[in-house]
Amino acid sequence: LPVEMKEVVLWSPEEVTNWLTENAVPEYCEPLKSFTGQDLINLTEEDFKKTPLSRVSSDSGQRLLHMIETLKMAHHMEAHKNGHVNGHIRVGNAARENGCSSKTKLNGMPNGYKKEMIKIPMPEPERSQYPMEWGKTFLAFIYALSCFIFTTVTISVVHERVPPKEVQPPLPDAFFDRFDRVQWAFSICEINGMILVGLWFVQWLLLKYKSIIGRRFFCIVGTLYLYRCITMYVTTLPVPGMHFKCSPKLFGDWESHLRRIMKLIAGGGLSITGSHHMCGDYLYSGHTVILTLTYLFIKEYSPRRLWWYHWLCWALSMVGMFCILLAHDHYTVDVVVAYYITTRLFWWYHTMANQQV
Amino acid sequence: MNTIETAKLEEHMEGQNNDTSNGYSRPTLSVSEENKNGTSKPKGLSNGLRKTTKKYPDYIQIAMPAESRNKFPLEWWKTGIAFVYALFNLILTTVMITVVHERVPPKELSPPLPDKFFDYIDRVKWAFSVSEINGMILVGLWIFQWLFLRYKSIVGRRFFFIIGTLYLYRCITMYVTTLPVPGMHFQCAPKLNGDSQAKVQRILRLISGGGLSITGSHILCGDFLFSGHTVVLTLIYLFIKEYSPRHFWWYHLICWLMSAAGIICILVAHEHYTVDVIIAYYITTRLFWWYHSMANEKTLKVSSQTNFLSRAWWYPIFYFFEKNVQGSVPCSFSWPISWPPGCFKSSCKKYSRVQKTGEDNEKST
Repeated sequence: LPVEMKEVVLWSPEEVTNWLTENAVPEYCEPLKSFTGQDLINLTEEDFKKTPLSRVSSDSGQRLLHMIETLKMAHHMEAHKNGHVNGHIRVGNAARENGCSSKTKLNGMPNGYKKEMIKIPMPEPERSQYPMEWGKTFLAFIYALSCFIFTTVTISVVHERVPPKEVQPPLPDAFFDRFDRVQWAFSICEINGMILVGLWFVQWLLLKYKSIIGRRFFCIVGTLYLYRCITMYVTTLPVPGMHFKCSPKLFGDWESHLRRIMKLIAGGGLSITGSHHMCGDYLYSGHTVILTLTYLFIKEYSPRRLWWYHWLCWALSMVGMFCILLAHDHYTVDVVVAYYITTRLFWWYHTMANQQV
Repeated sequence: MNTIETAKLEEHMEGQNNDTSNGYSRPTLSVSEENKNGTSKPKGLSNGLRKTTKKYPDYIQIAMPAESRNKFPLEWWKTGIAFVYALFNLILTTVMITVVHERVPPKELSPPLPDKFFDYIDRVKWAFSVSEINGMILVGLWIFQWLFLRYKSIVGRRFFFIIGTLYLYRCITMYVTTLPVPGMHFQCAPKLNGDSQAKVQRILRLISGGGLSITGSHILCGDFLFSGHTVVLTLIYLFIKEYSPRHFWWYHLICWLMSAAGIICILVAHEHYTVDVIIAYYITTRLFWWYHSMANEKTLKVSSQTNFLSRAWWYPIFYFFEKNVQGSVPCSFSWPISWPPGCFKSSCKKYSRVQKTGEDNEKST
């Protein structure tokens, strides 16, 4: 409708009549035939109370006034520009409401507008979106610590039940059939693990939301070790290779048990530190868990563009896992299951944390 | 006014339907310019609406995404692909069992591993039959229920895919490390040592018997980690519960009891190590929940930075199967013996918008 494109204030009476006809209110053509665009805009309710307009329709001009409002909206009336506050709904004469004004961003205070303002309360972000809540992180740390200690106790218990390697030879393993044992491989694995843990620790110190991420790490690592306790305990696998030198069994000597547990915790469960002489903790591999998990966390909480850093950590992780198998220190199924459970738990947790569903 | 409008629209639609093709874009008017929406597929609405917009120019046309496209397309061919995938994995598992059987150490050389459950509970001979009977009942119930589902193809597709993937995982864990037999009562068939024909015969026997001991087909050893029986018992229960009405609590309870009893009987019969059962339960439940979370939530269906669930290796296959399924499959049932349901439903699609939504509301329970 081309006539609408021209500014309303410049309309001639003829254009006004055309507009009235087009908008299905021809009954107003006669009384408003001398009205220009400016007069049209200046129509108010009072005008409809007097003759001749009061005779035209029974709604005291509500509909026509509404249409004029719409027209004014469409042309962004300059006259009222300084009178609108952002987000205000203009409650006009009786039944009129239009939400158009909420879209236009106009500033200022209303002049001469004796309308009622409705204030829409915007939710104020009073709380930070990422609260620190160190208390929860501490709880998570306690949880992880207790899972670690529980694992150590379980290893100590399971050690008693491992069948001696003479009675129960190592199980057939597809990887062991193809690759012979390399003696120093396990040290590589543990060194890689320590490097990765060190890198992750340094990275964590530099993060802004330390507490949240730390909480996640403790939660996940704790749960993984808890699962490990269960699988280690229920069925005891024999030693994967004849090279294993398992400590002698203690048969109920609680003090020595305790000392072993302390030694294992102090050494972090690593063979390099000489703390890990106990057997039986094969399904599933704790070393794989740490290697995979630190890599996942490093990748997730570092900038995307540090691709070389990610590649380095991935290589460390992969080489470490390969070396576990090369050293014949774990069965292949231990490593596979550990990888699966770690990645699934990590992705599951983070999807729930990040998605708002 | 509205009813008159709708009536007019219907009239126009009937008249225009035969000469407008799908995807006819509405002619643009100055008023309805902003409503040009590429996703809507109006079928013959354009002419009727043009007349009305001219008459009532202050009406703003809000383009509704046309409901004429089915939200749950059947796509039986995808179900066929899923079935082939499951079948392939099943056969692969059977082959793998035969291969692994050759590597199982004899029970004299490699006695059963220490197991906590076995320490406390002695072997009961008939328990495994109970487990297998429970499994067969559950499978029967599930097939029966599946026949009555309205969206058979979609649910069937999911079942085949999940069970196929679980058996694939099982192949891997069975093959890499061979556990010894869990009990001295095991009678393993003699090793064949390279006799391929006899091996093929064994494979066929295993498949035809469904891998069950009751049918006498399962004489091979070595397939312990993880337990296939547990997978089937758990998965069937999960599917039964998911795709049946919520208020059938007694039905769910019975199935749960059968499933749990079956799993415990596996252990009581000393047929699997405890760790086999635990890992099988864990992997089955996780995969089922993972798949269904992704299928039911729109935000989780697409691969994005925050959607970690899409990092699973089978995500492309999942997307291929589920991309046309809009939303959660409603729990509705229909008679299994009917002509392809699509036929009857689509012939009634030429109703006005009001009537059509009413019909849809009736149908979905």
